[in-house]
Amino acid sequence: MRKVLVLGASGNIAPYVTPDLEKDYDLYLSDIVPHPDGKPIINVDITSYPEVLEVCRGMDAIINFAVLRDDPVISFEVSTKGAYHVMKAAAELGIKKVVHTGPQLVRNAYDHEFGISDPPLAPGVGYYGITKYLSMEICEIFSRTYDIQTVCFLFNGLGSKPTEAAQGDFPPFTVVWEDLQHACRLALEIESVPGNFQSFNLLSYFAQGKYEVEKAKQMLGFTPMGGLEDYFRRTTD
Amino acid sequence: MTGASLSDMMRKKAKGGNSMNILITGGSSQLAQAIASELKADHSVRLMDSVPVDVAEGCDFIQGDILDPDDSWAAVRGIDLLIHTGEPPTNLPSDELKREQTLLDLATRGTHVLFSAAVKAGIKKLICAGTLSIFNGYSDDVYITELWKPLPSPEIVEMTKYLGELTAREFARDHLVTVTGLRLGELVLEEAVQGDTPNLAWLDIRDAAGAFRCVLNRDNSNSAEWTQRWAVYHICADIPNPKFLIDQARGIGYQPAHNFQNLFLKTTG
Repeated sequence: MRKVLVLGASGNIAPYVTPDLEKDYDLYLSDIVPHPDGKPIINVDITSYPEVLEVCRGMDAIINFAVLRDDPVISFEVSTKGAYHVMKAAAELGIKKVVHTGPQLVRNAYDHEFGISDPPLAPGVGYYGITKYLSMEICEIFSRTYDIQTVCFLFNGLGSKPTEAAQGDFPPFTVVWEDLQHACRLALEIESVPGNFQSFNLLSYFAQGKYEVEKAKQMLGFTPMGGLEDYFRRTTD
Repeated sequence: MTGASLSDMMRKKAKGGNSMNILITGGSSQLAQAIASELKADHSVRLMDSVPVDVAEGCDFIQGDILDPDDSWAAVRGIDLLIHTGEPPTNLPSDELKREQTLLDLATRGTHVLFSAAVKAGIKKLICAGTLSIFNGYSDDVYITELWKPLPSPEIVEMTKYLGELTAREFARDHLVTVTGLRLGELVLEEAVQGDTPNLAWLDIRDAAGAFRCVLNRDNSNSAEWTQRWAVYHICADIPNPKFLIDQARGIGYQPAHNFQNLFLKTTG
């Protein structure tokens, strides 16, 4: 099985993704805090290059879920410098696949539009947005130079798929865990992406006609489970 | 603070109608000092750096680290226009990894801290220096204008200057301020490169300083469109058969005086 390092494995996203991936990949979970489900964690501080380099040795791929959102110093340390360390280590060790993650960077600019598939990113100067945007630029630069295939997923809301009828509209720009698991598998398996780096907005609800995932469908073969909007229908009897 | 005091600066401003109080970062660098020399006759100039700097007569100096919000706030108070050269201090760590991390910090978080302080202080005009080396990834048989996608390499100075430019640009998106990026060619002195193989990106440092003068009065801060508040210009020598076209810079009055004519004529002849 391919060895895959997961950085930020104890955070808000990875614990919902790795149980599915571990069936087919040899996962190495790392973070600076314990795993919420008590799984073994390799203690790695992404702001330390020696630690990142060491944990990356022998890996076939890296998934970087690490983030710290709103601190004026640590957001740059974790999101931007951390990404620099990951890509530098990948280049140094010859690792050819990285899955990067970050926030959607389009809603501020385009939320009043419809049919939005792949517009230019508009990060602004908030710590979360700008630090992750800069991290994406770093990923692209290293990917282009060292022939690293990097797939970047951009999120807004994440959560479980609905299990019962709900009253009210469904959440905008939200991806369910099953679709994210599917997307991560595609990212780990795809041989190459144009320019060696591509970012993809991920979501699971489409009926509003606002945000779309056409690029992920076309480049990755992403097939969201669909039908989730059926849980959000008003009764008409 | 050395040299002219803030009150001296304010008095100087009161004398001249168009005179501004200008802060120039990276004060120990040749670029910052060339810009100060270019502007000091008409404006009150304050240089900033984290290391002590002997500044030219008539200029002010404040020692501080742009990564420190208090230092940045102290530096921007009373300032009308910020010139962020992005030039690092002279005391960078000798350890390669620490040097890379410091340059990354300065370009990303440092630019963010400095520009945040400037916006908070009410400064409307901000200028940042970038580099034309982000186009080295293109072959020399194309004409490069501001419309081309940058292809920076991971070389740390080149990459971090690009990241600094992107950070600065986002302030124009989110705030009613004018941010101008000047992508500078390879800085040299014309007389110092006589006999060298000509470089398509050469830029005499005195002409670089002149380019900053050209954008001092650019002010689209009240434009509703952020794309009007942000602009970027390519700045290099005016040479025969250029790779980097400078028509857009000419449009704002850029007229380089040091164009390495004898060297390029030898090559093309």
